[in-house]
Amino acid sequence: MAGGAKAKRRSAGPAPPATTLVIDNGANTIKAGFVRDVPEGQSEGNNDQQPAVDGPRIIPNFIARDRHRRTFVGSEFEKCKDFGEMAFRRPVEKGFIVNWEVQKEIWEREFFDTKAPQKCDPSETRLILAEQPNSLPALQAHCDQMVYEEFGFASYYRGIGPSFNAYQDIQGIFRTPRAPDTVPQLPAEVILLIDSGYSHTTVTPILQGRPLQPAIRRLDVGGRLMTNYLTRLLSVRHFDMRNDPYIVNEMKESACYVSLDFKGDLEKTWKGTRGERRQDYLTGGGIAKDYVLPDSHTRFHGVVRDYEPGVSARARKGAISTEDILTLRSERFVVPELLFNPSDIGMRQPGIADLVMQSLSVVPIGLWPSLLANIVVVGGNSLFEGFVQRLQTEIAQRMPDSCTVRVVRPEDPITSTWHGAANFARHEHAAKLVVTKQEYEEHGSGWVAHKFAMGLGVDTCKGACGP
Amino acid sequence: MNNFGVIEVASTKTKNAPGWAYVPDNGPSLAAAALQPVNRKRAARNQTALSLSDVSARQDTKIRKDLEALDRDIHKDANITIPPKPGASRAQNKYTPNVRRILQSQKTFANHLDDYQALLLQAETNPATAAALLNAAQSKAATPTTVARGSPAPSASSATAAATPAIRAPTPTTTPTAPTSKRSAALAKRAAAAAAKEAREAAEKAAAEKAEAEKAAAEEAAAKEAAAKEAAAKEAVKTEPEDPSSGNDVEMKDAPPATTEGAAPSTPDVVVPTQPQAYPADGTILPIYKKAPPTPHPGDTDPLLISHVPPFPSDDELRALLTATPLSYLEARAGWGDDEARYPVRMFCEVCGYWGRVRCIKCGARVCALDCLQAHREECVTRYGL
Repeated sequence: MAGGAKAKRRSAGPAPPATTLVIDNGANTIKAGFVRDVPEGQSEGNNDQQPAVDGPRIIPNFIARDRHRRTFVGSEFEKCKDFGEMAFRRPVEKGFIVNWEVQKEIWEREFFDTKAPQKCDPSETRLILAEQPNSLPALQAHCDQMVYEEFGFASYYRGIGPSFNAYQDIQGIFRTPRAPDTVPQLPAEVILLIDSGYSHTTVTPILQGRPLQPAIRRLDVGGRLMTNYLTRLLSVRHFDMRNDPYIVNEMKESACYVSLDFKGDLEKTWKGTRGERRQDYLTGGGIAKDYVLPDSHTRFHGVVRDYEPGVSARARKGAISTEDILTLRSERFVVPELLFNPSDIGMRQPGIADLVMQSLSVVPIGLWPSLLANIVVVGGNSLFEGFVQRLQTEIAQRMPDSCTVRVVRPEDPITSTWHGAANFARHEHAAKLVVTKQEYEEHGSGWVAHKFAMGLGVDTCKGACGP
Repeated sequence: MNNFGVIEVASTKTKNAPGWAYVPDNGPSLAAAALQPVNRKRAARNQTALSLSDVSARQDTKIRKDLEALDRDIHKDANITIPPKPGASRAQNKYTPNVRRILQSQKTFANHLDDYQALLLQAETNPATAAALLNAAQSKAATPTTVARGSPAPSASSATAAATPAIRAPTPTTTPTAPTSKRSAALAKRAAAAAAKEAREAAEKAAAEKAEAEKAAAEEAAAKEAAAKEAAAKEAVKTEPEDPSSGNDVEMKDAPPATTEGAAPSTPDVVVPTQPQAYPADGTILPIYKKAPPTPHPGDTDPLLISHVPPFPSDDELRALLTATPLSYLEARAGWGDDEARYPVRMFCEVCGYWGRVRCIKCGARVCALDCLQAHREECVTRYGL
């Protein structure tokens, strides 16, 4: 009874907020932007004052402190020039918002303060927040409570990030041949989404925008672990870089690649046993690169250079140049290799390809062909050179020959989830799932958590998927 | 030593002083016993060598510590305080009790995970209190007792199938049961982690046994086939709508009943329009293929060119998958299956990163060759002694 009365009052009362704040709250960066309803009088074309979708801004999601003990919160980090000995404090741990004290500070400075770069009034805004799958219920409850009680958003939906990716023109990314005037169907019918981010890598099969929850699998290898691993390798072989995580991360992003022939590449980078002079090692074998470290005076970012035999030896003597040069050899491909063989550092987990197999083993075989033909990779780790190719080869090796395996990476894998969520905000599904503040106050956070966990449920495709 | 008659009495208190300490001596301690063996004769000879288990224990500990270090966010414990906001004098607004509790919580993710595990453990032993706790924590979402959305799932597909017989191709009367049994055969196979191919073969075999019984019905069906062909073609459901190679699809004519029954319709890139019985009817979860079927090809009947796709998932299976509750954090973590445990782990040189072909006798670390072994020895001696 009460629910019915409430629903009536709501429909008569204030219209649902016209502005939606879409946040993909990653462990390393927040992707945030606005989606606005276009007023009815205007068509999308001549809308001058405010665009319907305000592309995402990428905000560092940490408080950083440099060696001069200056602190930078969130997007203030742009002002930071000297990245030596940076220390970070992150609100997100293992992909989930754990420390709300820090997260609230960052959100306030970015979205709510008077001089915030993306200012909005929460009481007139709808929030769509992407979270990682398989979160802990306590953390989810914290998140809901903060959103409603502290920030006071008018309405809110917390959905798992991978499934938002289905609200994109996936076949367009695949370049599937089709009639030029085809209107892409949202959400995509079926995709297998691999999200390889800062904290971990997840595999999520998605059917019509709904994640198949029992088949979601996680591999605890992410960008952070790889950066730490590279730090360790460098500290053993070259300099102690343990105080410069930012510099090592930059090095990983610019110099590392996924090897398509691991054994061969490893052979080329071996210096040989005692007294041996291996030609590949001396010339670099096409793999070795020189990395010029930033010196914090003239150079603030590292530079990758082709390997010149002898340069690093001269630099070590300090005779000619003042540059600090690291020669990267096997480090370049051993680090991303962890995604495919985590057992190399003793982790008892399967690589990505086997992760996909484990996920598929829960799904009926009838869905395998369509899932395998629509694998989408998002997340920063997919930017490694050769990643997509290697993944496709490894998955195809595990499947019968007649299976088509297609792996694709969206143009910008980092903001892909955000763009999907922005499309979701304009989709009718969003209206179905969003919970208003009133409903939260009436039913409590347990009810809200339950509603979010149930997701869209099943609806038959009669109406939605018509011709 | 001349103590001037003063005798030290060991107290039960332990004092911490640099270099040495009084330790309460309660009974024989193992460490002391090891230092002073009862039989001092031939002590050196009786000393046991480092056993294999000792070495592997050392290595396990090392791997565990390394992984923990790699998993940490920062090398040093950085204690960065939140800087005050520029300008704005912070008007301390009132927090609700929930918000205050959340903001003041200093728990890390590991703490939260431990809490959750304890909660689960309690749910096993004492469901009543756990339920109360769950309610208190307002975390209903995680309770494994969440009801799957009630639906007339089992009857739905057959009911709709019966309701729309006109547009369905006339199929043998046994078809409603045949696919399910095939599917269960396939399911059993899948559970045994077999490849898709094997599963299909098994299904084929199972269906071949049924072929005799179905033959009569199938022939009857074939007679009606011509009349129903148009309807069937319209009804065709796509299995692989997004396939890039669908441009050169070929239509397959009716294969012999045994094959069509057993091996289901097509490969990822071949669409067979005359197999509607394996597909869901209108109104189910998966949509109906509405596009025109691919043009027929003379080679369609060639048994060598016939390819196979696994049976289509039933509506019930999909419904169960779509409405399932999320797994917990630990359940979703992928572990080693049988396959991964079967292959040996790759070993690398700890010094240079090449294959680890030689093992250090003392600590079990792997190195590649003499050069690296020498470099390792220096470190090994400082850590474990000569």
